[in-house]
Amino acid sequence: MYRLFLAARYLLSRPINLLGIGGVTLGVWALIVVVSIFSGFLRVVGEHVRSASADVSVWFLPDSARFAKLKTAIEEDPNVAGCSPRLVHFGLLNRPGEIPPPPPLLGRGALQGGDTPFVSVLGIDPDLERETTSLDSWLDAVHGELRVKDTQKPLARIDGLPAILLGEERMIGSGLRIGDRLALSTGRIERGPDGGRSLVQVTGDTVGGSKQDAPVFVIAGAFHTQHTGYDGNTAFVHVEDLRAMLSLPPDAVQEVSVKVKDAADTEATADRVERAVRRELGFDRGTFQRAPLAYSWRERHQGFFEGVEWQRALMKIILIVIMVVAAVLMFATLSMMVAEKTSDIGILCALGGSPRGVMTVFLSCGLSITAIGIVLGTVIGCVSAVYLEEFRQFVLWLSGVDLFPVKVYNLDRVPHELDPLWILQVAGVALLVGAVVSALPAFRAARHDPLVSLRGN
Amino acid sequence: MNAPVLSAHGVKKSYWLGKREISILKGIDLAVERGEMVALLGASGAGKSTLLHLLGLLDTPTSGEIRYDGLPVHNLKVGARAKLRHQHVGFVFQFYHLIPELSALQNVLLARMMQKSVVQYWKERKNTRAAAEQILEEVGLSQRLSHRPSELSGGERQRVAIARALLQNPRVVLADEPTGNLDSETADDVMQMLFRINKERQLAFLLVTHNEELAKKCHRVVRLRDGMVVS
Repeated sequence: MYRLFLAARYLLSRPINLLGIGGVTLGVWALIVVVSIFSGFLRVVGEHVRSASADVSVWFLPDSARFAKLKTAIEEDPNVAGCSPRLVHFGLLNRPGEIPPPPPLLGRGALQGGDTPFVSVLGIDPDLERETTSLDSWLDAVHGELRVKDTQKPLARIDGLPAILLGEERMIGSGLRIGDRLALSTGRIERGPDGGRSLVQVTGDTVGGSKQDAPVFVIAGAFHTQHTGYDGNTAFVHVEDLRAMLSLPPDAVQEVSVKVKDAADTEATADRVERAVRRELGFDRGTFQRAPLAYSWRERHQGFFEGVEWQRALMKIILIVIMVVAAVLMFATLSMMVAEKTSDIGILCALGGSPRGVMTVFLSCGLSITAIGIVLGTVIGCVSAVYLEEFRQFVLWLSGVDLFPVKVYNLDRVPHELDPLWILQVAGVALLVGAVVSALPAFRAARHDPLVSLRGN
Repeated sequence: MNAPVLSAHGVKKSYWLGKREISILKGIDLAVERGEMVALLGASGAGKSTLLHLLGLLDTPTSGEIRYDGLPVHNLKVGARAKLRHQHVGFVFQFYHLIPELSALQNVLLARMMQKSVVQYWKERKNTRAAAEQILEEVGLSQRLSHRPSELSGGERQRVAIARALLQNPRVVLADEPTGNLDSETADDVMQMLFRINKERQLAFLLVTHNEELAKKCHRVVRLRDGMVVS
């Protein structure tokens, strides 16, 4: 009884113990809040990326690949719901006759996009595309004057010219409207009579009696996925128009988008589709050509996710330093307490206390400080993670400082995801650290010779 | 025949200072009977406090035996010694050794908490509190229950320490110069109180003191010189 009673009295009578409690609270709070934001960010951005991607994408198809054959092979898989062809090309988009602006500073393109004229031009078949991706919802997400007039035929030719769809942000940022014309400056690889390859500029059709230096497209409208990096760097054209522009044979395909029935089986389906495509195209083991690869949407953006996860892991390590500082603080205050209480140790022994009992008194103090810090840190951490957006709004209103610029990441609010397992881990580590730093002074107290304090004043 | 509540038989205690052995006690024989008040007199360094600590099982003798009620107790393990100390002995020190964070009442109650679990103590809390209040009243501190040691005079602090020593109804009280830190008037008051308790409770006392006058008032005087009993 005396162990808990004395521990409580020592704790309550020494305000310096608040330092230890504050340190543990701060460490636990920071670990919960920051990791919660990173986890929430990963989840939300994952959802954004997911919304702009096909379940499975087949890449690195050879020139000889034809969609009809691949479609048959791919759709034999029981988990495949459908697939659609894509041609993938690149180019500079600008108004006809306009000199392209200088390239922007590096750094924004990956997440934001839309500020460079260099875009990825995807040739799609809208009828098949809407079966495999969320094309319809991308078009429906745009309201107002940039909305595609006929969403069932979004890439139908306009005034005899091929249509193009651009990201909504890019159109707004560049002041583009439906019906505006854009030239796509690009080239293509052409095989010569000797079998050699050369880069040839792609020229446009004759418009108004004059041959265009670059193919001209008419803007049919905008699309909007949640993944602004994708929107800003991507333009959609009809696959037939891109085939004609690049002088590719009918049914040529460079990428296949696949929709799966059971999302939980996506990775395994990607493996099976990859094997089916390789089999169909005659890629055996030992082939030195670059073989087609099928990626799930997560594997395709693995680098990005791994980057964020790595940052989260790094942040955990940095924040654990706070915990170590708190532990040192607690160690210092407990050591001071033991030094001040040596006379009490003597009388406790005289009254029938054992060294183990004395150790328990000081260990209980340290563990109580840790436990209070953990509880406070966990509660404040969880509450502040949930209401971080409100706190951000308040600070923004009060000082004009935006603590977390959500628009940069196309977020509605500061994301968070409280992981009970992580909270348990944080509490466990804090408890372990607290127990270790409490045990050292407590052990010293237990080894203190009671006669030394009983002899002196 | 009843055995002494406390006895020492050929108790020796020595320490090593480097390679040199320093003998503090050189074979002490001593017995304290129930209800007896024994004064332990001796100059500084004679080994009085060391003997008191050995008799109170706070330290172990280099050789010799210590017996409580005739039973040898000097070889017991740490935990068993602590438990026996709690049940058999009450300590009073020159510098009171009260815990500054606790009130007078809590300091006394601490003696009862030492060997009780939370549940046991909780069940007995009312009786324990009543007993502590009664003892504090007995030593004249009924109006000072909630006062901290810093709010009490030297004499009052020593009374709290005596009340703490008495709460467990020990067989013997070992008092190490209990009046050494008090003025003569207060010291007389405290000693009168100790004599009264000794008489009323038939409690054995072993009193370490320098004060010849005080020692003469005890039932028996044991003199120590250079680690040996000389009379």
